[in-house]
Amino acid sequence: MPSIDEVSDAQLVTSIARYSEVALAECYRRHGGAVFGLAKRVLHNPADAEDVTQEIFLRLWNQPDRFDPARGSLRSFLLAQAHGRAVDAVRSSSSRRQRESRDALRTAEAAYDLQREVWDLAVADQVSHALGELPEEERRAIELAYFDGRTYREVAQMLNQPEGTVKSRIRNGMRRMRAVLADAGVRGVDA
Amino acid sequence: MTHDEASDLLGAYALDAVDGDEFTELEEHLETCPRCRAELDDLREVAAAMGNSVEPVPEGLWSQIALRLPDRQEDEEPPPMPRLAQEARTPFRAPAAGTTRRRRVMVSTIGTIAVAAASVAVVLGIGLVRADNKVSNLQAASPAVTAALRAPGHQLVVLDSSTSKTQQAKVVVLPSGQGYLVSSALPSLDKGRTYQLWAIEGNQPVSLGLLGGSPGQAAFTMAGATRPTHLSITAEPAGGSVFPTGPIIASGTV
Repeated sequence: MPSIDEVSDAQLVTSIARYSEVALAECYRRHGGAVFGLAKRVLHNPADAEDVTQEIFLRLWNQPDRFDPARGSLRSFLLAQAHGRAVDAVRSSSSRRQRESRDALRTAEAAYDLQREVWDLAVADQVSHALGELPEEERRAIELAYFDGRTYREVAQMLNQPEGTVKSRIRNGMRRMRAVLADAGVRGVDA
Repeated sequence: MTHDEASDLLGAYALDAVDGDEFTELEEHLETCPRCRAELDDLREVAAAMGNSVEPVPEGLWSQIALRLPDRQEDEEPPPMPRLAQEARTPFRAPAAGTTRRRRVMVSTIGTIAVAAASVAVVLGIGLVRADNKVSNLQAASPAVTAALRAPGHQLVVLDSSTSKTQQAKVVVLPSGQGYLVSSALPSLDKGRTYQLWAIEGNQPVSLGLLGGSPGQAAFTMAGATRPTHLSITAEPAGGSVFPTGPIIASGTV
């Protein structure tokens, strides 16, 4: 069920390409919390997570064309970017550190909608259910890679398992989750 | 890298857990393999769903981003447009292309708020209820409306027809900016049309959301409008408009 909601996000990105700061602010209002939340979860450090969040939205401003709505939702795109950036920061292990438009400020700092929050919570519920359904070793490998920012080779070392096994477990686990989430009607986040 | 080798790595890649030569070779393979790209897109959605835990953003973070936005020059070429696979289905008209390349703050304020309003309804439509693109299907409007009418500082706005002086709709607005359509006597519209609620600030209409073709109670927020003088309702094509296109059907002073 690709929805009109994706279209709305895509429309926002179009406006960003036309230099609409308010459109960027609206993207931030919708997705800033998710980007920051994921960065913080990987980096365990709010200040670093703020840096990543800034970078992700500046990148969206400078290269809006990198988002391709045909390939997924804007939320997923931004989260993938945030995750990649956060993981880079973890791996380099150097966990480092007025003209603003009134309207944009107002838009960006306006409250996160209750409706979106409800939706996000519903997705989170489905995800923890889907993760819970996985065989223990698949779940563990996925969590180590995703939330601790480990490569699958590092995960293999940590779990003392062959690299090939871990690679397949991650893939199988992800596919299984995809099936469970699809059954539950979750098609990507913020769809 | 063979297709099978690449395909094996996709799960790890979607988690950013591939590095070194493998990473480079996999990216090369992805360039040429639509099947792997499609699977990767799916796996990335799974990864995003896992990482989707929303936290309140730190105060002031937006201002830091806004300050770092590079200034654009008038004569600068805009960056390439994003591809819009689903553009044809958007019910919103793009902001009119003007001659200036300055940021179009006002136009897009209205546009984005209209977009946001519609997407609220749609989020619910997928997850919780079948929402017919109406703000009025937001959950539990009724007890909330009752509470709002008892809340201290609430303001009741009566929207009268501009032609017949009959009362068309009643709206209650709380000091927090939360508002509700309490009741409406608006006639049902044809399929393909929707009522849309606007806050008028100076001469600027700010969309507060779509009310559907036969409005019942509905919740909205005044977040996009700080000091509106009027609330007005127009009839618009389904999906709403960025800027009112129909005549004002009902209006009231705030």
